[in-house]
Amino acid sequence: MSSTYRIADVNIRLSSGDYSFKIYAGDYSFDGAAPDIELYVSRDDVDYERSQPGGDSCTDSYLEALAVFRKISERMPKYDTFLFHGSAVSVDGLGYIFAAPSGTGKSTHSAMWRNMLGERAVMINDDKPMIRSELGHAEIYGTPFNGKHSLGSNIHAPLRAVCILKRGETNHIERITPDDAYPLLLRQTYRPHNKSMLAKTLQLLDRLKHSVRFYELHCNMNPEAAKVSWEAMRP
Amino acid sequence: MKLRSEFLIHQNDNETLLVPAGSAEFSGIVKGNNTFGEILSLLKDDTNESQIIKSMCERYEAPEEVISQDVRKILDSLRSINALEE
Repeated sequence: MSSTYRIADVNIRLSSGDYSFKIYAGDYSFDGAAPDIELYVSRDDVDYERSQPGGDSCTDSYLEALAVFRKISERMPKYDTFLFHGSAVSVDGLGYIFAAPSGTGKSTHSAMWRNMLGERAVMINDDKPMIRSELGHAEIYGTPFNGKHSLGSNIHAPLRAVCILKRGETNHIERITPDDAYPLLLRQTYRPHNKSMLAKTLQLLDRLKHSVRFYELHCNMNPEAAKVSWEAMRP
Repeated sequence: MKLRSEFLIHQNDNETLLVPAGSAEFSGIVKGNNTFGEILSLLKDDTNESQIIKSMCERYEAPEEVISQDVRKILDSLRSINALEE
């Protein structure tokens, strides 16, 4: 059984074993042009995902989806694209990502932007968007992996800014240099097992330094935090 | 002794990052200054502690004892994250 998807402008044909990736990726189904990437997911791949932390409490279907996504992420750097762990929202057609370790408040902050900005703000992806990084331009894409609340759409937008979140007593934001942002960006980026794909990923992150603004936001859970970040990052 | 192949060296303005591929046991990222970067560069080829100390003494005007201590400290850190093949 095989099916084709289009994720971040890359066509992917998937032949899987017993389970269906379509549960997660239905919005990304695609009929048409020849695949750029062909994948096969085996029982061994699913078992590998099960062996990862937290894996034994997941359904086989979810583990298959994780295996597929890992394989896609391994190959995407060839297409100048990488997986990034963050919450991405589009406002008036421009993309913004909130980046931080899990539990810091990325999704909460995106939700505050949606409450504040209404229809102008559309979730791209609340967990694992993909970024295409070209010379002078970066584009952020929705993917089927959009977090526990399934927040996201099959859309994309030019990436304007990355905001690193840190918890704080008061809300304040400052623009930071790309070099200051780089180590955290790297921690939130999928690092391929293949060394040449990893080297390419680092080059893609280097390009991002020249095409995107970087901010560091210290914030609490108060809705005022959203005003502070928006006022600083908006065009 | 050399750097394991699954670790990449990346230069970021004034600091050097040591980045493991997803397959490495260690999953963090190590940051260091230019001295750290130079030692990592020497570890791209098979070498030993004495050769590294000698190379660093040729580049820097500092007492050999100080350079030896710094080199040893960095090598021990790399060993602790299983970054060296010995």
